[in-house]
Amino acid sequence: MTDSPAPPAVFADFVGGDRAVLTRVSVRLSAEGLDLSPPDGKTLIWPWAELRAEPDQADTETLVISRSGDRLSRLYLRDKNVQAQLRTRAPHLKRRDRAISIPRLMAWAGGAAASVTAIIFVLVPMMAAQLAVMLPPEGEKALGDTTFEQIRMALDETGLVGTPICEAPAGNAAMQAMYDRLNPASDLPYEVQIHILDHDMVNAFALPGGRIVFFRGLIEQAETPEEIAAVLAHEIGHVVNRDPTRDALRSAGSLGVLGLLFGDFAGGTIALFLANQLINASYSQSAEATADDYAHDLLDRAGVSPAALGTMFERLLAEHGDAEGIVAHFMSHPQMGKRIAAAQAAVVDGRQYGSVLGASEWRALQSVCGDAPKGQQDPDLPEKKPWPGSD
Amino acid sequence: MPPASLNVTYSGRKGPMLGLALKTGFLTIVTLGIYRFWAKTRLRRYYWSAIRPGGIPLEYVGDPLEKLLGFLVAVVFMAFYIGVVNLILMYVSFALLNGNVAAYLLSFAGLAPIIFFAQYRARRYILARTRWRGIRFGLEPGAWGYAWRAMVHWGLAILTVGLAWPLTTLWLEKYRTNHTYYGDLRFVQGGRRGMLFASMKHIYYPLGLSAIAGGMAAAFENPAWIAVFVLTVPWLVYGLAYWRADSFKRLTEAKQLGEMRFRTAPRPWTIVGIYALGWLLIYLVFTGLMIVIAGVVLAAVGGTGFDFENPEQFEPVMTAIAPTVVIVYFAIFLGYRAMTHAWITLPIAAHFAEVTRIVNAGDLHQITQRDRDEFAEAEGFAEALDVGAAI
Repeated sequence: MTDSPAPPAVFADFVGGDRAVLTRVSVRLSAEGLDLSPPDGKTLIWPWAELRAEPDQADTETLVISRSGDRLSRLYLRDKNVQAQLRTRAPHLKRRDRAISIPRLMAWAGGAAASVTAIIFVLVPMMAAQLAVMLPPEGEKALGDTTFEQIRMALDETGLVGTPICEAPAGNAAMQAMYDRLNPASDLPYEVQIHILDHDMVNAFALPGGRIVFFRGLIEQAETPEEIAAVLAHEIGHVVNRDPTRDALRSAGSLGVLGLLFGDFAGGTIALFLANQLINASYSQSAEATADDYAHDLLDRAGVSPAALGTMFERLLAEHGDAEGIVAHFMSHPQMGKRIAAAQAAVVDGRQYGSVLGASEWRALQSVCGDAPKGQQDPDLPEKKPWPGSD
Repeated sequence: MPPASLNVTYSGRKGPMLGLALKTGFLTIVTLGIYRFWAKTRLRRYYWSAIRPGGIPLEYVGDPLEKLLGFLVAVVFMAFYIGVVNLILMYVSFALLNGNVAAYLLSFAGLAPIIFFAQYRARRYILARTRWRGIRFGLEPGAWGYAWRAMVHWGLAILTVGLAWPLTTLWLEKYRTNHTYYGDLRFVQGGRRGMLFASMKHIYYPLGLSAIAGGMAAAFENPAWIAVFVLTVPWLVYGLAYWRADSFKRLTEAKQLGEMRFRTAPRPWTIVGIYALGWLLIYLVFTGLMIVIAGVVLAAVGGTGFDFENPEQFEPVMTAIAPTVVIVYFAIFLGYRAMTHAWITLPIAAHFAEVTRIVNAGDLHQITQRDRDEFAEAEGFAEALDVGAAI
């Protein structure tokens, strides 16, 4: 400091990190940096480039200064002038010195990713598949009961009462008649229970323990009872293969692991749901194909054209478009085109297929949720859309 | 030589904390949770540095990368445990017990030792990264010893419907404190077995009274008993604050660090007041925001000539506002957390700090440094299980 008069020394508290002693040091600014002189020792010089200020301090009056490379020493600087000088002259005041090596971090990140991937995509599905077959029917039923109530709650917009079940006796009897006609009892360890929920969604699914759920949307969308029968046969296929049970067990495992990863950064629910959906969908494609094959057989044995399944898919396709690419991952029924073709190929040449329900039963099924059947469904008119392959 | 008695001052302020919590929370959300290690570190730096015994701030020197690394280490092990154990527990609970509640209970029982283990390890990490006057705190290893003791003591508390909770608290606090060091000096937790029961008196009394009043109200239809029953609720609220203040006082004043002792006098009504005011403010902010949002939505709807009679319009509208809904969800979550930090956690910390004093601190300067506890896993297990310290 030759060109300007040296500022008078100020005093500050200093800790050296060997004993819990507070030392009053005099602080002087020099060309090299801070000169710290304890009353009874030799002066320390902290170079400008090595000065660091501790961030996020509550006390804005005091600047807590440390020196790069010295983990323990701290200077508690209260003088406003010196603080201002430091802010302009110390070039790396805000830099943080890293103690962790990036390669080591990367190695563990890789390990964590590999371990999570192996567990979610290999270990948990394998165990779920094994345990699903071992689970006794009563256990499966209990699992299904719980899931059913959860789904009803989740689908209800108010989240209070649960989506209503369509109770009309005639409609439910028609559904039961359809089931009896398909007659898959020999493949199942328990009775199948079919529920129709009063909801717009064009969908149906199976739950553990032999519960099959239809949405009103799907029944309204279908133009013939055979289409419903085809979907029913497909869902029975899932029940026979224990797919829902496997699914429930698997998501119990993988949801826990995903919860681990995301923490609670935002309640976590949305991220968890999306991630689990992704895993679910990519996993169940082969299960869908197996259920389709089962449905073709069951329909054929019951004298209903397997092509009905294809017709139902075509209708969904027209409604939603084929989901491929990234969208396909979020839909659990991807690649409709292939499955339509498979359904049509399952039609046995030369066989006569009949209808699965009488006109009045069909009407009852369509109004199971209390609505009148759609106008164009007049049963006196000839069917607009003959089954491909049945003529 | 330091003065014989050191007061604790508190320099944290609500405004800066609100800003810091909002900023770090926002970054956490946009990075899908990755920033949470930085967020937690920064909040801790602030909270720690606000507490200044004898005018010198505590310092938190934890490194976010170290926390991230610890988390990755924990994930490698925990993913296996969580995935497999969750799945097996779910299987067992449905195969043998036919119920889901059992699955949750079992799952928790399976996790409990790990949770206590993780909490102890997290405490070890946090203390190892806390300094005052340049001297490190530390916690001796002993997580499994803590885990089984915690299981036994919690078991006792659960068996006595919480009546033995004061004993559980004291025993576990003794284990933790007696393993805690400041520099080379070990803390000792004194106190006889019955010490904390008196702190629970304002919980025992209203509970007992409400049991009597409830019984009497059920037996005789006298509205006076119902009034008594209702009046026990505010008493219980006071009782919780009293427990917090008085148990802290008794535990703290029975702690010893060499010759040093601690004196404290938290006030239950102040605690009640902080919570009441904090929640009132949060309530007012959310109500205000709701009114503003409702106003904006109504104005927007009025502007576009939305037709409420036409349900066909709802679907595109719902699709259009879905991203807004997600943003609002995150905003509520973020705002709630930040306001809780600024208006509840910080004032509570301030109150407890400001009423506390260290006495007989004459020998403080003889305390020497302890070695750095490297501890690569940091608080990864607690982070993964989401059972770490709230801060």
